[in-house]
Amino acid sequence: MTMTVEPRREFDVVGTRVNRLDGFEKVTGTGKFVADISLPGMLIGRILRSPLPHARIVRIDTSRAKKVPGVRAVITAEDTPKRYWGAFIKDQPILAIDKVRYVGEEVAAVAAMDEAAAEEALSLIDVEYEELPAYFDPEDALAEDAVLIHEDKPGNVALLIDVERGNVDEVFRNSDVVVEDTFKSHLQWQAPIETIGSVAEYAGGKLTLYMNTQTLFMARHRLAWALDMREGDIRIIQPWVGGGFGGKSCDDNNAMVCSVLAIKTGRPVKIINTREEEFLAGSRPRVPMKIWCRMGFKKDGTITAKHIDVIAENGAYCGKAPAITGVAALRHDTLYKYTTVKTRARLVYTNRIPTGAFRGFGNPSAEWAVEQVLDLGAHELGIDPLDIIRKNAAEPGYVSPHGNRVISCELKQCADRVERMMDWKNRRANKPPYRGLAVGATVHVSGKRHFGDYDGGSAVIKVNEDGKAMIWSGEGECGQGPTTALCQIAAEELGVPFEDVEMSRADTDLSTYCHGAYASRLTYIAGNAVKDAARNMKQQILEIAAEMLEAAPEDLEIRQGNIFVRGAPEGKSTTVREVAHARLFRRGGAPLVAAGNFDPDSVLQDPSRYGNESGAYNFAVQAAEVEVDPDTGKVTVLQYAAASDCGTVIFPVGAEGQVEGSIAQGLGYTLSEGLLWDNGRPVNPNFSDYRLPTAGDMPKFLREFADSYEPTGPFGAKGLGELAMDPFAAVIGNAIFDACGVRIHELPITAEKVYWALREKERGSSAK
Amino acid sequence: MKRTVEFTVNGDAYRFEIEPNRRLIDVLRDDIGLTGTKEGCSIGVCGACTVQVDGDMISSCLMLAVNANGRDVTTIEGLAEGDRLHPLQRAFIEYGGFQCGICTPGQIMAAKALLDHNPKPTRDEVVEWMTGNLCRCTGYYKIIESIMAVVDGKVEGQEVRA
Repeated sequence: MTMTVEPRREFDVVGTRVNRLDGFEKVTGTGKFVADISLPGMLIGRILRSPLPHARIVRIDTSRAKKVPGVRAVITAEDTPKRYWGAFIKDQPILAIDKVRYVGEEVAAVAAMDEAAAEEALSLIDVEYEELPAYFDPEDALAEDAVLIHEDKPGNVALLIDVERGNVDEVFRNSDVVVEDTFKSHLQWQAPIETIGSVAEYAGGKLTLYMNTQTLFMARHRLAWALDMREGDIRIIQPWVGGGFGGKSCDDNNAMVCSVLAIKTGRPVKIINTREEEFLAGSRPRVPMKIWCRMGFKKDGTITAKHIDVIAENGAYCGKAPAITGVAALRHDTLYKYTTVKTRARLVYTNRIPTGAFRGFGNPSAEWAVEQVLDLGAHELGIDPLDIIRKNAAEPGYVSPHGNRVISCELKQCADRVERMMDWKNRRANKPPYRGLAVGATVHVSGKRHFGDYDGGSAVIKVNEDGKAMIWSGEGECGQGPTTALCQIAAEELGVPFEDVEMSRADTDLSTYCHGAYASRLTYIAGNAVKDAARNMKQQILEIAAEMLEAAPEDLEIRQGNIFVRGAPEGKSTTVREVAHARLFRRGGAPLVAAGNFDPDSVLQDPSRYGNESGAYNFAVQAAEVEVDPDTGKVTVLQYAAASDCGTVIFPVGAEGQVEGSIAQGLGYTLSEGLLWDNGRPVNPNFSDYRLPTAGDMPKFLREFADSYEPTGPFGAKGLGELAMDPFAAVIGNAIFDACGVRIHELPITAEKVYWALREKERGSSAK
Repeated sequence: MKRTVEFTVNGDAYRFEIEPNRRLIDVLRDDIGLTGTKEGCSIGVCGACTVQVDGDMISSCLMLAVNANGRDVTTIEGLAEGDRLHPLQRAFIEYGGFQCGICTPGQIMAAKALLDHNPKPTRDEVVEWMTGNLCRCTGYYKIIESIMAVVDGKVEGQEVRA
């Protein structure tokens, strides 16, 4: 383990407004995404999907499909190793074995010379099904007489969490105010503009995949398991990835099916999901939850205890939903200081698309409930909700009831910043009718220890003979900008100009193991690993420079690529370039290469769910002003403010982009995104009905970063990617209540729901 | 039955024998190899496949290639001259108008179609025009800022590295 704690200092590269390193390729259209890749002899793969939500497969006949000219392979489960796979619970086949469990599930697949032949063959595969009862609501699947979706999962329960610290009922009895309510959240798709896709080829026992995954090594691990291969016999090369947001972390079958077809045919095979397939069975959408929450308070606003009950929808197979359910059940208790907490969470199988990782990872659903209950408490107490946040806010040194250890924390500062940005007191005091102002807060991790007892990162740096450094990293880039941030960290540590550092594209054959992009971990974890590699590299450079300058290495300094005796930049000097050249081109020479590692000081949660899950915690407070149209129920977000504590901002343009993008996804989650369902089948799986926010929907937006420094982070940095997504829905829910006195209990908040809630409120008040 | 179609793409003349149901995006990407034009939704909603045809903004997933006969098509690959970027391209880099980059060619082509017709739009006009191009990464703020930087003359086309 490498842990260093560094004091704050001024930086040369970190925190400067550099341009992204992938700019030229992305603005000129020259960058290659997976759909842009064509290999000689490449076949087109297509997948036959289940039309039914739950059914036994009686018979599959592929004989007619195999006769279509141009078809090179038609496969079913019989052509796969029939190994069940999954991130936490191995329950998903590559192609359906004996049963289908949701509409869209992969049943068979075809590889053909062109798409027309592939489509024709798909239409000729004959499948006979015997329908079974299907469940689209977890509470139906929990019924005692419910048919089992997986025979080995009694009660259709995938996971149960039941934790009590202290005695909540006793504390509630002694509290001045106790409030409770129940809130439901819905499926939200990551919906990157690029769908999931793969190009696979197989020769000599080696499978090579071009795959738009955000977690290359984890994808390799799961492919190796499901295909019964060694990890090293699979190479994953990451093209540019057109957005991930959690949805491209390999919980779906696209690459699995593509690989089986490539192995079967010996030809390269390409499968790119259509937009409809992406909704049916592509990225695993956000886990819907029904959360009941009760909170107790003292008169002065101090939180006394919290009790929540979560029913989470797993869908038909298990991806990351177990971990997500754990986050929803427990994470929020790191935000405010209280010790008495009870949480029960059940993750339940249904016959809908498997749910999974989406920016926020359980936090947005939990915050949607808990931060609204907190707001209820604030109203009940007659205390400004910002003061409730400040009163209870976690602080440096706080240890949550579940063992999360907070090091840096600027939650109160975030509350102060939001108060100022929104002109909070003044606007609240002078708001017109049907305008509302409200807040919400959140905590997020910087990496989470849950895939075995390792949440580390690694990196290798070489310095070429021209003095330019290359970082080899397998973390990957799915658009959020870690490539640029990691190069800034390396340049800062090495003492070279930003232009003298670049990073390799991610490729499992060429880099050491990296978990990849999830849990807001790259800046903090990969950043520390890169920094460690750069420190080791710098030591090598200084030792050679010391010989050249006849000085002790510890007396030397590197700035802007120049090496000189500390405090004497005008004296004898050399450069990184001269050192790299001199190190290589001599008898017994060698290139400059150094490795780095970092594994944070977190621990794997024990069976009672106790344990510090992350090396650092990120905090945010957000506020909104909304207007509700009393005649139509339409909600307009007039202004939004976000204050984020992510430690040192390494790459300002990227950090701002993460917050701004989170706000847009929060807006969609809260107000516009959702599908209509008919017997387990989404009836409108397309971008014209699944309404992503457009440029015209975005509110006036104010954002600030807290003045913050995480001592265990690279140059003081911690995670940010998901943070700003977490509280958005709750903030809007609270603001609607402030505007018109109605609570909306189910996402998305459509105008229709607000309209009917207003009518009901009118009836209620006229009845009195 | 195949038809003979002739049109230019980024000033280069092409002649194809193509099926009449073939989409312009497929000819651009698969036959010519200009993969900068992206497909996001296939129904003309997301704008990732935006190109210009005789200067007009077109969703190339909705246009049949035969309808391009005799016309001039401009794609994202037609904007830069070597390493010398179009001001919009430069602005998207300097102002962070992209993240993953999948929608970026469409965003830039849509913005170009606007500025070709109206070089001095207001911010509201830019926002209104750009609502036809979805982006899941940026929240649009930096896209609009990038375009406004060009409108306000803050950006010149120039060579860049990286």
